[in-house]
Amino acid sequence: MRVTHVISVAAVLLSAVGLGAQQPPPTPPVAPPPAGTPAPAHPPNPDEAAPKFDPASVERGKALLVAQCGFCHGSNARGGQQGPDLTRSDLVQSDENGKQLGAFLKVGRPELKMPKFDLPDKDVVDLATFLHSEIAAVADRGKYKILNIVVGDPKAGEAFFNGAGKCVTCHSPEGDLRGIGAKFEDAVMLQQRFLMPRGGRPRRRGPRAPGSDVPPHLQPTAVKATVALPSGDKVTGPLIRLTDFDVTLYDPATQQMRSWLRTDGVPAVTLTDPLQAHVDLLRKWTDTDMHNMTAFLATLK
Amino acid sequence: MKTPIFSAFLAFGLVSGALAADPPLGLDPALLTKPPTDSWPTYHGDYSGRRYSTLNQINTDNVKALSLAWIYRANTSPQGAQTGGEGPDTPPPGSGGFGLDIKSTPLLVNGVLYLTAPDNVWAVDPRTGREIWHFYWKTRGGIHIGNRGVGMYGNWLYFLTPDNYFVCLDAATGKERWHKEIANVKREYFSTAAPIVIRNHIIIGVGGDSLDVPGYLESRDPDTGELQWRWYTTPRPGEKGSETWPDQYSMEHGGGMPWLPGSYDPELNLYYFGTGNANPVLSGHSRPGDNLWTASIVAVNVDTGKMAWYYQATPHDTHDWDSAQTPVMIDGVIDGKPRKLLAQANRNGHFFLLDRTNGKHILTAPFIDSINWTKEINKKGQPVGDPAKEASIPGALVSPTTDGATNWPPPSFNPDTGLFYVGTTRGVSVFYLTDTDPRPQGWAAAERHVGNFGTELKAIDYKTGKIVWSRPLAMSVWGPGGGSMGLLSTAGKLLFGNDGGGNFVAYDAATGKPLWHAGLGNNTTNGPQTFLLDGRQYVVVGAGDQLFAFTLQQ
Repeated sequence: MRVTHVISVAAVLLSAVGLGAQQPPPTPPVAPPPAGTPAPAHPPNPDEAAPKFDPASVERGKALLVAQCGFCHGSNARGGQQGPDLTRSDLVQSDENGKQLGAFLKVGRPELKMPKFDLPDKDVVDLATFLHSEIAAVADRGKYKILNIVVGDPKAGEAFFNGAGKCVTCHSPEGDLRGIGAKFEDAVMLQQRFLMPRGGRPRRRGPRAPGSDVPPHLQPTAVKATVALPSGDKVTGPLIRLTDFDVTLYDPATQQMRSWLRTDGVPAVTLTDPLQAHVDLLRKWTDTDMHNMTAFLATLK
Repeated sequence: MKTPIFSAFLAFGLVSGALAADPPLGLDPALLTKPPTDSWPTYHGDYSGRRYSTLNQINTDNVKALSLAWIYRANTSPQGAQTGGEGPDTPPPGSGGFGLDIKSTPLLVNGVLYLTAPDNVWAVDPRTGREIWHFYWKTRGGIHIGNRGVGMYGNWLYFLTPDNYFVCLDAATGKERWHKEIANVKREYFSTAAPIVIRNHIIIGVGGDSLDVPGYLESRDPDTGELQWRWYTTPRPGEKGSETWPDQYSMEHGGGMPWLPGSYDPELNLYYFGTGNANPVLSGHSRPGDNLWTASIVAVNVDTGKMAWYYQATPHDTHDWDSAQTPVMIDGVIDGKPRKLLAQANRNGHFFLLDRTNGKHILTAPFIDSINWTKEINKKGQPVGDPAKEASIPGALVSPTTDGATNWPPPSFNPDTGLFYVGTTRGVSVFYLTDTDPRPQGWAAAERHVGNFGTELKAIDYKTGKIVWSRPLAMSVWGPGGGSMGLLSTAGKLLFGNDGGGNFVAYDAATGKPLWHAGLGNNTTNGPQTFLLDGRQYVVVGAGDQLFAFTLQQ
């Protein structure tokens, strides 16, 4: 991407690391493991954190909520004209399987006009299960469902494709993009793909984009590195890793990973990005252009 | 410090045994107000938040000879550990999933290192890297993403757990003295901060923004753990600031978690810290207004818990750009006059400089070039958000991402160079609104990372906000590596950090040129620290589940 690592000539060729020539090559000795990347301050719950709720109990609880509580607390338990939000309630959030909720309902809160409810224990459990499932759904943002994002104007998208976006320089709806709208069932994936066709590490869950099972360095979108050796020779291939102290690339000629140590910018490394146009455009997109492009590409079926 | 470790122990033992009711003697509190040399007695080394050491035994001339002294690999087995906690023997589901990264900055007091990870505290011999004791907390759950370390008062250690207990240990033995619950884990609170000890106040804050719960900072008694005061990060109805929320309901569910340790000016008796993002996190529809005092830098009086001033870095935050990053104290000169300053490189992409006596704004400067969420910088120096860049159903393209232009890893300020150092990243995400209810909850929107223009280590001139040097970090086949990182600068003209590619690096503090590196196989995961022991300067840093110590070859 927009890296301009400084170039100078000569020196230190240390070792070409042979990692085997078989296809596909083994996982490259890439950069550090994900643990080294800066962690988000507030992570989504990991999969295992999601409590499991009996769907039948959730349904029964939902019906009970609507019938018994919805008048005051809203039909989705987020509060109504007279009653507070239940899913944000300390009592409900702290409840264990209806135990505290049941005890509360037996008494109510008469001073605030909350009557007592004599519900059978099993109904209280269902009610609690529904409320806890709602709370868990709020807390687990990794599972939030993205709504319909195909709302733009396909014609305007097409105009951008052929005009300001200059997409037509490299792409054609009848050529490489033929049927792209059908290939990507998920419009979000399609949108991500045109914004930046080279994804980050594969997502831990959820659908993956077509072709993402190919190792990143074997994808045509990989950044290419050219290493200028002291002999005057140059080696070019997909970049695996570049730091101030070393460089590794995948050498297509030998189908091996090769690495060199670097000191003070030597050997020099130049990077070229086949996706430079996408990188440049990433700074320029308006949200409207992005929505229109999504709509246009989604029509290419 | 030539004291053999066992005699230091003996002294600890006598103190804790004989004088349990009196203030213990282990840590001399006077150390907390001086630049650290033969100790590192609090999270930042001293109260300033500068993470600058006056040590210069290791310097630009000899750093090439810096060499590995030892590695300590975090031992998380309850076998043989001191144990405590209210949880079951086997951790409940949902309390794992993050692996183990050492994010704590180890303390070094009287010749012993103290470090943490979620549910674990260790005492380690700094000469050999051998474990002295291990404390294991049986958890009830909570998000186990990290722990920043312990605070120390006399011979007692304090730390927080993911299930929100405030725990006190005997530093000599690792035995628990007591624990107190400070927040409810069922409401998705989780605690990661390193307690900051100021005289007889232990300052702690809570975290967790999944369920729209209120944030607060507390001061607790070092002897008993009882609450001295609690300061809510959002106002109560009728209080000043309440006019920035539509109603009581929204402000009481408004978030603002103060989840990182702050800094402290003893002369002003003010504790400076940042508050977290507002809730619901990515939707502002139900909370029109500035939403004080979320995403703000706040000064509180340590004895009363009353707010002295605030500066809101992101009014009406809708991108998870909390303001919890370290507020760094700088005693500097502006327009020829000596000033008490406070600087912060904010997650929202802007560097702020304030007068720390009164919170008056001096300077705002963007430190990354990809910011696209602002409409303008207003008269108070605050970036004003563009409403069009709030999450929408078909998506809003925003830089930086919710990870921010930088994040929690501590920056460094070096008074010799006048430079403020920070690890940065220029990510881009699309924000999709998913909760269209008039009362959205939780995060209310989904985020998808789509790209990154690059990661850089930057040095900022605190007086002007100008970038003096910027060093691109590693590239991998996945894209730019690293970004935000823990930093340490020294009088040896060095800046210690990482390169985003798994190397621990000593940079020339003036120019950013890398002078020495060690491949640790993992980017560093905490703030490096340094101390002098037996006449030798050590530099200690965590990377993943290992703590590395370096010293000059002799």
